[in-house]
Amino acid sequence: MALLNLSSPHHHSLNRTSRLMMWVLLATVPGLLAQSYWFGYGTLINLIWACALAVSFEALVLWLRKRPIKPFISDGSALVTAFLLALALPPFSPWWLTFVAVLFAIVFAKHLYGGLGNNPFNPAMVGYALCLIAFPVSMTQWAGTESTLNLAQQWQWFWTETMSGGIDGYTQATPLDLMRHPKGLTLDELAATNPLLGLGLTASAWINAAYLVGGLGLLALRIFTWHAPVAMLASLGLCSGLFHMGEPDLYPSASQHLFSGATMLAAFFIVTDPVTSATSRKGKLIFGASVGLLVFIIRSYGAYPDAFAFAILLMNLAAPLIDTYTQPKAYGHQGNKDNER
Amino acid sequence: MGRIWPFHGGVHPPENKQQSNQPAIVTMRVPKQLVLPLNQHIGAPAKCLLEVGTKVLKGQLIASAQGFVSANIHAPSSGTITAIEERTLPHPSALVGPCIVIDTDGQEQWIDHAGIDPLSVDKGELLQCIRSAGITGMGGAGFPSAVKLQAKTQINMLIINAAECEPYITADDRLIREYSEQIIAGIQIIRQLLNQPACIIGIEDNKAEAIAILSQALTGIDGIEVAVIPTKYPSGGEKQLIQILTGQQVPHGGIPADLGLVCHNVGTAKAIADAVLLGQPLISRVTTVTGKAAAKAGNYQVLIGTQVSDLMAFAEVDLASTSRLVMGGPMMGFTLTDHQVSVVKSTNCILASSALELAPVADHHACIRCGQCEVVCPAELLPQQLFWFAKAEEFDKAQSHNLADCIECGACAWVCPSQIPLVQYYRFAKGRVKTLHAETQLAEHARLRFETREQRLIDDKLAKEEKRKARAVAAAAAQAAKRAANPDAEDPIAAALARVNQQKQAPATSVTAEPPEDAYKALKTAAAITRTKLKKSSKALSDALASGHDQVESLQTTVDQLTLKANAAQAALSAYETKLGLDPEHEKQLQVAAAKAGVVVRKLEKSLAIAEDAATIEAQIVTAKTAHATANQALEAYQHKSTALQQQTQES
Repeated sequence: MALLNLSSPHHHSLNRTSRLMMWVLLATVPGLLAQSYWFGYGTLINLIWACALAVSFEALVLWLRKRPIKPFISDGSALVTAFLLALALPPFSPWWLTFVAVLFAIVFAKHLYGGLGNNPFNPAMVGYALCLIAFPVSMTQWAGTESTLNLAQQWQWFWTETMSGGIDGYTQATPLDLMRHPKGLTLDELAATNPLLGLGLTASAWINAAYLVGGLGLLALRIFTWHAPVAMLASLGLCSGLFHMGEPDLYPSASQHLFSGATMLAAFFIVTDPVTSATSRKGKLIFGASVGLLVFIIRSYGAYPDAFAFAILLMNLAAPLIDTYTQPKAYGHQGNKDNER
Repeated sequence: MGRIWPFHGGVHPPENKQQSNQPAIVTMRVPKQLVLPLNQHIGAPAKCLLEVGTKVLKGQLIASAQGFVSANIHAPSSGTITAIEERTLPHPSALVGPCIVIDTDGQEQWIDHAGIDPLSVDKGELLQCIRSAGITGMGGAGFPSAVKLQAKTQINMLIINAAECEPYITADDRLIREYSEQIIAGIQIIRQLLNQPACIIGIEDNKAEAIAILSQALTGIDGIEVAVIPTKYPSGGEKQLIQILTGQQVPHGGIPADLGLVCHNVGTAKAIADAVLLGQPLISRVTTVTGKAAAKAGNYQVLIGTQVSDLMAFAEVDLASTSRLVMGGPMMGFTLTDHQVSVVKSTNCILASSALELAPVADHHACIRCGQCEVVCPAELLPQQLFWFAKAEEFDKAQSHNLADCIECGACAWVCPSQIPLVQYYRFAKGRVKTLHAETQLAEHARLRFETREQRLIDDKLAKEEKRKARAVAAAAAQAAKRAANPDAEDPIAAALARVNQQKQAPATSVTAEPPEDAYKALKTAAAITRTKLKKSSKALSDALASGHDQVESLQTTVDQLTLKANAAQAALSAYETKLGLDPEHEKQLQVAAAKAGVVVRKLEKSLAIAEDAATIEAQIVTAKTAHATANQALEAYQHKSTALQQQTQES
């Protein structure tokens, strides 16, 4: 047998990119189930549709780019993007909305920048932000919690956007949206007058808790480090807590912020995207904390009910700068101030 | 037991030590041939002392250290030197280098040797003993040990590295189990040399038996303690072990001695004991042979210079099923593509792995910056960033991210989910940085030289200008002085200019304006010059003819031309004279007559001065003067006549 001539190390752990991606997908399952429980089949239909689209687009672009298709498809990164988009889009998203979001995420945000590892922006967030700006009505048709559509109704809505009796009976503003427009009422009065708010808050709290469980699982598996999610949640909690203490009538509490909207999904599945976030431990802390701060600012003062897509895209822009200034001190450089740039 | 500190990062690859750590160390039979590279250590290669054909004894010095950082090489067995030639070295790039080849005679005949009592000799002698035994670091790097024992700073702690953190390798483990007393003796000698510092033996907790034996052997011995450290690769890296045992980091660009520390491998301690107590130089070592392809995996006492192929045969390695042959461990070792290379002083392991055991990585994927490499990097670098910089050849950025601090332990590449060969990227970047640095230095040198030269040229020019100015000033001053002394004198330059202008204005009339005598003179001069030239050329021609020169022809031509010219000039002169009615012969006669009369007058006058008969002589003088005057008158008349004639011809 001819002897191999290879560089050290000659041994390798069983760690693989596809394994990381698979764990990420698995960790979304509790959230997915919770979301389906509260909002019906929409998310599941969306998920299957988004996965099919993502893999197809990925294969197509790899073929156009003359790259080997199988090894790249099998890394699972396209599926992660599809999952994140399907979970973030409203359950009442029609087929074309998901189509546009996935197309933009995979083709434009990912492959036009050079494919996995080279994209400066989180692909799912680019797709999401595009739809949010281009199709604001569809993007805010969030399913109600009182009466969910059955599978047939959901299927019909998904393809035709027609609904006997109209969709209005089934949609509902999200709690964050409600709280942003209190119509002159304090939050307590709002909760008293609008029973939907309480129900919505309960639903999103359950969903967020489910994502938290999945995220903690990934943390336990050391798929990512704790720095970015903890920093993000801490900064969001701290800001909302401080403002709530100051004006409880205007600002929702820290727990409402942390357990509503896409907080936990973002904290454990989007902020932790390694490709587009800062890379050193200190950098991840700064990155996460800044996302939390931006989320609070946009939620409280911005024009959109939830803020993760914009907060994360903004911080994606800042990640290289953060990296430049957060280089850790290497072994033997402890006494050396010049090393810290 | 002292405190154990953590170090950043590290990985836990499968240890795979049990395959080779069970059997006792087996001494390998003397191979037929030993090949000893002259450079087995860090530093200058040793210099071969003997010639081909020389018979050598076991332990005989065959190559001597060159310089401070270098090491002696001894014959590992008795035999004959059959070649001193280039052979493939145990090197990642399979470089070739000078080696001494000894054909062994199987006698194992030792040279006379004897140990010394370390307590009865001074440090210098002890150090010399270790130095001459050619001992180098046995852990892998192969740094000459005597150099580290000659520390210039105060050493407070001696660290003995028995961590053996690389998977598969068990040479130190077995060595401790079987030679703990020799190791301790060696440690005591090192301590004696370093003024009795405290000693810690760092050993990973996966070697329970070795730890027990060592602790047993150390009972009742003060100043040496065993520190059992958690098993984590690369705890056996010198810098990492120092951090584990002292909590300190070796400063960037520094050495452990800067912290008052010295680190030696456990095998080195044993080699030192053998050298001092037995007088045996470093001619053999314990090497692990392991891997799925090795039927008799275990540790072997191998003579330095043994070919890997011989060792593999002895350990019953199945070559056919060996897919990757690694010298060293699986994390930092290098592959051998040729097993005709030597076991050297730093060879701690030969890993013959099957294809499944160390499966080659298929295709590596894109880096997703997952940061797992950063988590495991013991140098606390950002391996993922270094990878991007190396890939993009942004070497300045790689350097500012402390590329130089990478110890190439391979933890990052081991853990990388995309299976990127990161260490190879860093080696590439380090190599390029080194090359670029050398190029920059060369360019800088060239720039300095160029600038110095330019400056020198400018200085020279300025100096010349200065000198010229000084001369001009001096000349002007001299001129002024001259003018002051003689104010009426015509300015020579002005006069010259005036003449030139005159000539320019009337170039046609200048010839006719010439006085007749001048024309006559010019003709005469021309004739004389051509004659002289002709003479010279003729002489040259005759010389050339005599010496057989090859330019005879051209000289002949010149002579011919000059003859023609001279004749023409003479003809022109004669024609002119004839035309004037002049007879040069007549003029000459007149001149002679006048001169003769003058001579007579002068003679007579002289006579008069001394003569008594003055009257007679006076009368004679008067007669002679008259004759002289007459002759002069005749000459003047003639000359006058000729001038008039010339003027007439000119006018006509």
